Amino acid sequence: MNSNDLDDFRSEFEAIKNQNGLNDCVDGSCIADEYEEYPDYLKAIYAEIMPPAKSGIYFSRWDLKKMALGLDESFAIDVRERMFQKFMQWIATPEDMLKVVAEFSTLIDMKCELYKEYAQSYPSTAEIFNSKIEKAEKAKKYLNRVYVEFFT
Amino acid sequence: MNNELKQQQTARINIYALISRLTMSEIDEGLLKSIEEDENMISFFPTYKDWDTRKKHSRKELIAEHLDVDFTNLFLLHLIPYESFYMREDQMMETGGDNPVQQLFNDFDFRVELDKARVMSADHIGVELEFMYKLCDAELKALEDENYETAADIAAIQYDFLKEHIVEWAPMYLINVKSEAATAFYYDLANLAIDFILSDFEYLSALKKSQYAYQKDENNE
Repeated sequence: MNSNDLDDFRSEFEAIKNQNGLNDCVDGSCIADEYEEYPDYLKAIYAEIMPPAKSGIYFSRWDLKKMALGLDESFAIDVRERMFQKFMQWIATPEDMLKVVAEFSTLIDMKCELYKEYAQSYPSTAEIFNSKIEKAEKAKKYLNRVYVEFFT
Repeated sequence: MNNELKQQQTARINIYALISRLTMSEIDEGLLKSIEEDENMISFFPTYKDWDTRKKHSRKELIAEHLDVDFTNLFLLHLIPYESFYMREDQMMETGGDNPVQQLFNDFDFRVELDKARVMSADHIGVELEFMYKLCDAELKALEDENYETAADIAAIQYDFLKEHIVEWAPMYLINVKSEAATAFYYDLANLAIDFILSDFEYLSALKKSQYAYQKDENNE
């Protein structure tokens, strides 16, 4: 990898940071203390992003398959945790990780759009769906943080 | 109780019964026939009504070759229809007596025969919807007896159960049922279930806000 590649990754990451409002807490203090330390990105994402209770999003086996297909990869339908591991093990470079983060973010945004529609159509549910959207936004920021911690 | 309230309550009971039954086990020919031949019921399944595959097969073939396969994928194999998976931070299912939904059912003496229902724990979507069905049925009986205080107590339990349980997790699951369904029937079922659950929560929220002021019989108003 030459220094130009690294510069490209950095500028791409800066763009994602700006897009997701991560610069609102440049020192990471707004999210830093909420999360445990993990030995690797796989454990970090499985523990903090995959549980619907934490991210507000259900990533099913087909969701994992669809995200992989978005990167021209194909995995057989298997146990959810095993499929997740295969998907994560596909990551070989920081650039791959950025692509995976982008796939997760797209899926999260798609599901949050549905939450917004439901909250609008059924106002009494707004509190419940807004809380999920808040968790999902935090999950997106955490994915970016995982990229910084384990890939830069 | 007035007619409008009775009709509304009966509709709630029927829809909870229908979506509970359809999310709990495979459809049979008799039920499919009832849905297809009832104008109201088939209106809940608009995509299925116009589905080409339906028109090319007998009900028996349709169930064996398409609907049962889809049910297995959506409710047994690939998706997770249990509340604890969505509520626990370790994304595990709680199949034992510590399951908070099981404990709540015990408090209300609502017995779940897991083996008969072919579910692993009481927090299965079909079982939770059946609990709502039973509560709506009990509420109707109280309303018919003009026991409005009891009816209000039962409606308050429904509100709490939807807020703390079903609305909290079922949409996450049903959104995936909708996007992963391979048949028009289960796509429509997911749509119906999401819309009905959320609109029923809307109804119960308004009822709660009115302090459960039911529209009583004209003579009693």
